[in-house]
Amino acid sequence: MSNRETSRPYATPVIRGVGITKYFGGVRALDSVSLDLMAGEIVALVGDNGAGKSTLVKILSGIYQCDEGSLWLGDVKVSHLTAKRAREFGIETVYQQLLLCDNLSATANVMLGQEPVRSRFGPFEIIDNKRSVEQARRHIAELGIELTDLSSPVRRFSGGQRQAIAIARATVKAHRLIQFDEPTAALGVRQTQATLALIQQVAARGIAAIVITHNLDDVFAVAQRVVALRLGRITLDVPVHQTTREQVVACMTGMSFQRDAS
Amino acid sequence: MKVTSILPRVSLTHGRNLGLLSTLILCLLLISFFSPKYLSIDNLLVVALQVSFIGIAAIGTAYLIIGGSVDLSIGSEYALCAVASAMVARSLPSPLAWIFGVAIGALLGLTNGLLVWRVSISPIIITLGTLTIFRGVALRITNGFGVRGVPKSFATFGQAHWLNIPMPVWVLAVLVSLAHMVLQYTRQGRHLYAFGGNREAAEAAGIDGKRLLLVCFALNGALVGTSAVLAASRFGSAAPTFGAGFELDVIAAVILGGVVFTGGEGSMVGVLLAVVLLGVINSGLISIGIDPHYGQMVKGLALVIAVTLDQFTQEQQERHRKKMASLERASTA
Repeated sequence: MSNRETSRPYATPVIRGVGITKYFGGVRALDSVSLDLMAGEIVALVGDNGAGKSTLVKILSGIYQCDEGSLWLGDVKVSHLTAKRAREFGIETVYQQLLLCDNLSATANVMLGQEPVRSRFGPFEIIDNKRSVEQARRHIAELGIELTDLSSPVRRFSGGQRQAIAIARATVKAHRLIQFDEPTAALGVRQTQATLALIQQVAARGIAAIVITHNLDDVFAVAQRVVALRLGRITLDVPVHQTTREQVVACMTGMSFQRDAS
Repeated sequence: MKVTSILPRVSLTHGRNLGLLSTLILCLLLISFFSPKYLSIDNLLVVALQVSFIGIAAIGTAYLIIGGSVDLSIGSEYALCAVASAMVARSLPSPLAWIFGVAIGALLGLTNGLLVWRVSISPIIITLGTLTIFRGVALRITNGFGVRGVPKSFATFGQAHWLNIPMPVWVLAVLVSLAHMVLQYTRQGRHLYAFGGNREAAEAAGIDGKRLLLVCFALNGALVGTSAVLAASRFGSAAPTFGAGFELDVIAAVILGGVVFTGGEGSMVGVLLAVVLLGVINSGLISIGIDPHYGQMVKGLALVIAVTLDQFTQEQQERHRKKMASLERASTA
């Protein structure tokens, strides 16, 4: 497998999907989708509503299992990727609705499910608060996020800050792949730029990033590669500098751009 | 930054606890002004004994509501545990009967938990159903009468004293302290707040929501069982009519204590203060010589005022947040 990949800048894909197909009833949501993800690479995933973007993301995070095709995590072939297995491998997803606990502090949200333990009493694990705050602070600082108050409940934070907290949480756990589902959809101009910068920070640490977006500005601002899905099939998979907005739009919508271009 | 600030407490909780504490002190002062002997140690111990039964059950209900659920059937669980324990005591050694009562409670709670987990309707509806079922079972196995022929040894648990303090008060003190520590300092406590705050987010972070919910329901049942066994044991017997309206008293105390009904917020300190406050209002009115029916009204009023104040505070915070957000947008535009 690695022989075929020697021409690539990174030898082995972190995650590779081969011929992934997923049915919902009679509908083929994904139709033999093959995709390689390299460490530190930002891949923009574009497509119209119902193109299969979310389905692909859910398969990669183990929420759905594909009906045909296979997934490779590193050089291990996984026929049945569960959510637990995906998490253990280091795949996290930052959802559009962020999935933060509004009642908990920024620190508690960043460390949720990964709280460092100081001691145990029977089944009870006492949280090491000092270490928890330190770790959360470090993860937040590493992304270059400026948050002054880590102890307030996150419901008090603005949209951009909440996005940053959600991304910081993903980096606590994910060391292979973070999938961003419409990360800039609800944000203003400045917060969008800040969020895109965060995604670049994530990738700079050697984590692969998939960015689902409807915004072509985002694609050309951060992505190295753009993958377009249409009706469950990949219609485009090229480095960003080898394509144009028009071609991306054409591949998303199925209009006849390619014929004109060639 | 203070290390304690990571705890999932909010200013609302602190404000509530302070409000409860000052109301409690005010009530005690008022009552003792009209009835000076109210503040005697003996009388306060009686008050403590009276509140301990609701207090023990309130721990479990607080956990459930913080976790975003609720069990309405606790009054019927209480009756069923009490009569089951008393009936078993007729043929088995009393300690086994006490344990049996608690175990039955855990089992009933677990049943509710499984139903609530599996059937995706509001836990209010599900446990409203089991409320009726459990009460029916309690009435059926006793034919509607109090349990007779319970040996004297059955009463030794509920009537026991240590350092002049009644057993139910000790049980409440120990359980409330443990519950407080679990809630504030353990991962399990943190995960319960997370689950109650945003179930989907908690599960996406790898928290096993099913286990959390089932354990809370079973624990709640066991606590109700403990309270019921203590009451039955103190009384020397039990009747199937025990605990009618118990769930309303308990839930009222828990909500007054600052646990938000939609989940994710609340503290054990607040719940304990509210339980004590309601008990003091109850007994205080009697000791002043005011018609105890006013007690009902005052308790209800306290709850309405408390949640109304909560709502107003939240609305104010929300307005403030929106104002800040629009300022932020204006400055970046």
